[in-house]
Amino acid sequence: MLRHLFKLIWNKKGAHSLLIIEIWASFMVLFGVLSLIAFNLNNYLEPIGFEYKDVWVLDLSTNQDTVNLPEKSLRIMQRIRSYPEVISASRTSANTPFSANQMSNSSTYNKVSVSHDFYVTDEDFSKTLDLPLRKGRWYEESDISARFIPIVINKKMEDKLFANENPLGKLIKENDTLSYKIVGVVDKYKAKGEFMTDNPALFKMLKKEDWDRNVLIKVKPGTDANFEARLVKDIAAMTDQWGIEVSYLSESRKNRQNLTVIPVVIFLVICGFLLTNVALGLFGILNLNIAKRKNEIGLRRAMGATEGNVTTQFLGEIWVLATFSLIIGLIFAVQFPLMHVFDLNSEIYITAILASITVIYIIVTLCAWLPSRQASLIHPALALHED
Amino acid sequence: MLLNYIKIAWKVLLRHPFYTFITLFGISLTLTVLMVLTSFLDHIFGTHYPENKRFRSLYITSVTYTDSSRTTRSQGPASFRFLTQYAKSLKTPERVAISSMFGYTNAYVNGKRIKLNTKYTDADFWYVMDFEFLEGKPYNQQNIDNGDHVIVITDALRKQYFEDDGKPVIGRNVEIESIHYKVIGVVKGSPATRIYTYSDVYFPYTAPKSNYQSAGLRGNYIGIVLARNESDLPAIQKEFDSGIRKIPLPIVDFEQKYPVLIVQADKYLDHFLNALLRDDSLKNRFIFYSIAGFVLLMFMGLPAINLINVNVSRILERASEIGVRKAFGAPSKALLWQFIIENVFITFLGGFFALGLSFAIIQIINASGWIAYADLTINVSVFLVSMLVCLFFGLLSGVLPAFRMSRLRIAEALKV
Amino acid sequence: MIRLQNVEKVYRTSAIETLALNNINLNVKKGEFVSIMGPSGCGKSTLLNIMGLLDEPSRGHIEIDGSKVDKYHDKNLAQLRNKKLGFIFQSFHLINDLSVIDNVEIPLLYRSSSARQRRELAQEALEKVGLSNRMKHFPKQLSGGQKQRVAIARAIVGKPEIILADEPTGNLDSAMGNEILSILQKLNEDGATIVMVTHDDAMARRTHRLIRLFDGTQVL
Repeated sequence: MLRHLFKLIWNKKGAHSLLIIEIWASFMVLFGVLSLIAFNLNNYLEPIGFEYKDVWVLDLSTNQDTVNLPEKSLRIMQRIRSYPEVISASRTSANTPFSANQMSNSSTYNKVSVSHDFYVTDEDFSKTLDLPLRKGRWYEESDISARFIPIVINKKMEDKLFANENPLGKLIKENDTLSYKIVGVVDKYKAKGEFMTDNPALFKMLKKEDWDRNVLIKVKPGTDANFEARLVKDIAAMTDQWGIEVSYLSESRKNRQNLTVIPVVIFLVICGFLLTNVALGLFGILNLNIAKRKNEIGLRRAMGATEGNVTTQFLGEIWVLATFSLIIGLIFAVQFPLMHVFDLNSEIYITAILASITVIYIIVTLCAWLPSRQASLIHPALALHED
Repeated sequence: MLLNYIKIAWKVLLRHPFYTFITLFGISLTLTVLMVLTSFLDHIFGTHYPENKRFRSLYITSVTYTDSSRTTRSQGPASFRFLTQYAKSLKTPERVAISSMFGYTNAYVNGKRIKLNTKYTDADFWYVMDFEFLEGKPYNQQNIDNGDHVIVITDALRKQYFEDDGKPVIGRNVEIESIHYKVIGVVKGSPATRIYTYSDVYFPYTAPKSNYQSAGLRGNYIGIVLARNESDLPAIQKEFDSGIRKIPLPIVDFEQKYPVLIVQADKYLDHFLNALLRDDSLKNRFIFYSIAGFVLLMFMGLPAINLINVNVSRILERASEIGVRKAFGAPSKALLWQFIIENVFITFLGGFFALGLSFAIIQIINASGWIAYADLTINVSVFLVSMLVCLFFGLLSGVLPAFRMSRLRIAEALKV
Repeated sequence: MIRLQNVEKVYRTSAIETLALNNINLNVKKGEFVSIMGPSGCGKSTLLNIMGLLDEPSRGHIEIDGSKVDKYHDKNLAQLRNKKLGFIFQSFHLINDLSVIDNVEIPLLYRSSSARQRRELAQEALEKVGLSNRMKHFPKQLSGGQKQRVAIARAIVGKPEIILADEPTGNLDSAMGNEILSILQKLNEDGATIVMVTHDDAMARRTHRLIRLFDGTQVL
C-alpha cells in the first residue's frame, strides 16, 4: 500500500511540488520559531541560582570627582551598613544582575582555556544575593595575597576546567602576570535572568581599597521609597558631585525578561497566523483534490476498498507528501546543529526539529482528516456517475 | 461593463466563501505584517517629532580608537570639549547641537519614587530640535553661562512629579539628588526610541554632574549638525573630516596607543548601519544577514506560496466554468478580463482588511505604553507597494493558468 | 449466483420521488452471460449498481452466491466486492496517474498479497487481454479499446466469479466493440458469470439471455 501511495505521488510530482514547497517552508518557519522557544525554555527551566527579592542596586557615578575615591566609597559603605533597614550590602562591578552590561574574558588551567563571564565583587556578595556555595567558601579579606587574586567559580566553569580534580586551592591564569586561586564553587549564577544560558562564570575579589561604581543592598522586606529617598539624600550629602541612581532587581528582572519574551511572543503570533493560513490552504486544496478524484474513489470502492481503506489512502498520501517535504527540510535543518550555528547546544536544535516534525504531521493530519472522511463517505455508485 | 464584471466577481467570491476566506486571510496577513514592520522601521529611522529636521541633520555619535587591523578597539560617545572644538566650529552648517547620552536618576515625592532619564544639552539643542513647549520656554545661553539650576521637563514628568494639580509648574522646584532645580519649560515628550532626544529632564550642560569638563576625545556627548538644506550634507561631512584629520595620532588612552581614529558625521540611518557593520566579524555578519534574509523570505514567501497553491488547485474546478461560458459565446478576452477583475477585486478587499488590521495593531502599540510616546503611522507608499506585490502573485497564480485554460477548446475544457 | 427478490429503488429529492426500479425479481445462474437492455433512464445502470453492491435497494433482498447481503456492513460489502465481483465501465475509469500495470493491481491492494504476487497476477491478467507489451504505459497513451482492455484486466485480476459490465462498448467503435465482446465471451467460457448492460442489439444477441427494462419494470 505504501509503495502504491509513493507511486501515486511520484507520478504527480509536478502538481505536488508546490504543496511540498509549502509544507517545507512551514517546517522551516516552525523550526526557526521552535528553536528560539526551545532555547529560551531550556534556559528558563534552570534556576537562576540567587535571590533578587528586596535587593537594590545603587549606581554611583563620580563625575568630575577624582580625589580619595576609595576612602569615600569606604565611608559610603559604612553609612549604608549602619541603617537598620539594610541586611547586607556588597560592592560590585557594573555588570549587576539583570543589567545590560557584560564582562567576559578567558582563563587557562593546564593548557585548557575557557572563556567566561567575570564579576568583580567584594566579600559580602554571596550573602547579599543569597548565592549558596557547593564547595569551599566565599573569599574574604584574609585570602588576599601578592601572588594571586582569590576567586569563586561556578559549576559550569569547574566542569570545563577540572574533570575529576578538586578545584579548591587550584591556581588558574588569566595571563602571564595574573593568576587566580579558587576558594569556592557556586552552583549557578545566571546574572541576566531566567533566559540566560548558564555560562562559565568567575567572581574575583574586589579589594577594600579598590573603587567600583555599583553597590547591591539587601533590605528588610517591606522597606519602601521613603527609606530610599533618605538613603539617596544622605549619600548625596556626603558626596556633592556624585550621581546616585537606585533601581530594584525585581524591576530590572522584569525589564530584562520582556527583552526576551516580547520578541518570542511576536514571532509566535506571526508563526501562528502563518500556519493557520497554510492549514486553511491545505484544507482547501485537499478538498478540491478529493472532489476532483471522485471517480477514482468510486472505482476503488467498487474494487473492494472499504471506507477505512479510502480514508487511510488519502491520509497516507498527505503523510507521504509531508514526509517528502520534511526530508528536504531536514537537509536544511540539520546544518544548524552540525555547523553549531549561533553556538547553540545541538539538543536545542534537535528538540526543535522533532517538535516541528510533530506539529507538521499534526497539522497535515487535521487538514486531511475531514476531506478524507468525506471521500470515504462518497457512495461508489454516485462517484462513478459523476461525469 | 466594469460594474458587471465586479458584480460577477462578487458573486464568484460569495459562491465559494471558504476559498475566498483563505485568499483574503493570506493577503491581509502578508500586508499587515509588512505594514506594521515598515511603520516600525519608519518610526525608528524616519523624520518625526521632535527631530523634524532629521532629514537635513548629521549625527556625530561615536569616537572609535583602533589599530590598523582593528583587533583592539575602544569606542563610545564623544567629549563635550571635542564636539565644541571640531563640530561647533564648522562653517557650513546652520547650527550644531550638543547633548549628552541619557543618564538615569531618581526623584522622590511623597514616598513615591520616580525613575528619571536625564540629558544635558546646550542652548542650540532647542533650536535644532522642534520640541513643542506646553509651558514656559527653553533655557538660553545666558542661563548656561550663569550655571543656573534650571530644567526643562516633559509633560509625563509634570504629571508624575506635580501629581496633576492643574496649576502651572513654571518656577516651581524639582529636587533631584538633593539639588533643587527650577522648572523653566514643559515640553511634549519624545519617544524612547529616539535616543538622542529622549529624556524626562533636560539640564543646561553647566548644571552639576554633567561631566562637560572631561578631557580627551571620548566622553558622554553627541553632536547633531543641522545643515541649511539637504544638499549641504556632503560638504559638511567633508569639512568635518578635514578637521578630524588634523588631530595628531596615535591616540593614547589608558596607557594604550591607538594609531587609528574614526569619527564620522553620518545621516541617521547611515550611523545605525555603520554601527552594525563596524561590529563583529565578516563571517558573523554574513551569517546574520543570510539568516535574517531567509527568515524574511520565509515569512513573506509562505503566504505567497499558499495563495498560488490555492489558486492553481482551483483552476481545474474552474475549467468547466470556463467551458460553459465559452460554449455560450464568451470570447477569450472577456474571460481574461473577468479573471483579472476578480483578482484585483479580492486583492483590494484583502488590502482593505489589512489596512484596518494594521491600523488597529498600530493603535494598540501606540496605546500600550510599550514604547512611551510611540507615534507609529501607516506608511501609504509601503501599503501601495505591498498591494502591488499581492496583485502580482494573485495574477500570476490565478489569471495566467485561467487564461491558458480559456484558450482551450471548449470540449476539452468541459471534459476535464 | 445473483438473486434479486422484489427489489425496488426510489430516489428522493426534496420535491419529487422517482421510482427507478419497480419490483425486480431476477436470478442469474452460475456461468450465465446475461445482457440488460432498455432505453435511457429506464434503470439499467441502477440495477447493475445494485447487483454490484455499489448501491442499496430501497426495498427487497439480494443474494450473492447464496449469501444474503441485506445485513452486511461496509467492511463485508467491500470484501464481497473485492473477492466475488469485477467491474467494467463505459468510461473505463482508469487512474491517469498510475501506469497500466499499477491500475490493474488496484483490486489486489485491498486483500493480503505480496508485491510480487500482485505483479504476477496483473501480468497474467494483461496477457489475457493481449496488452502485456503496454504494462509501463500510462492511460493517456492508450486508445479507447486498449483502455477498456486494461479495465477488463483490472476486473479479472482478482479472479472474481461475477463480472458486471456497464456498456463496455458504449465509447468504442464497432470493431473495437466486437473485440471487447469476444474477450468477455472467452471469459464466460472459462467459467465467469457476466452481466452486461448494453444499448446494442447485436451485442445483446450474442449473450445467453436478454433482460429488457422499461421505466424501472422488467418487461422481458
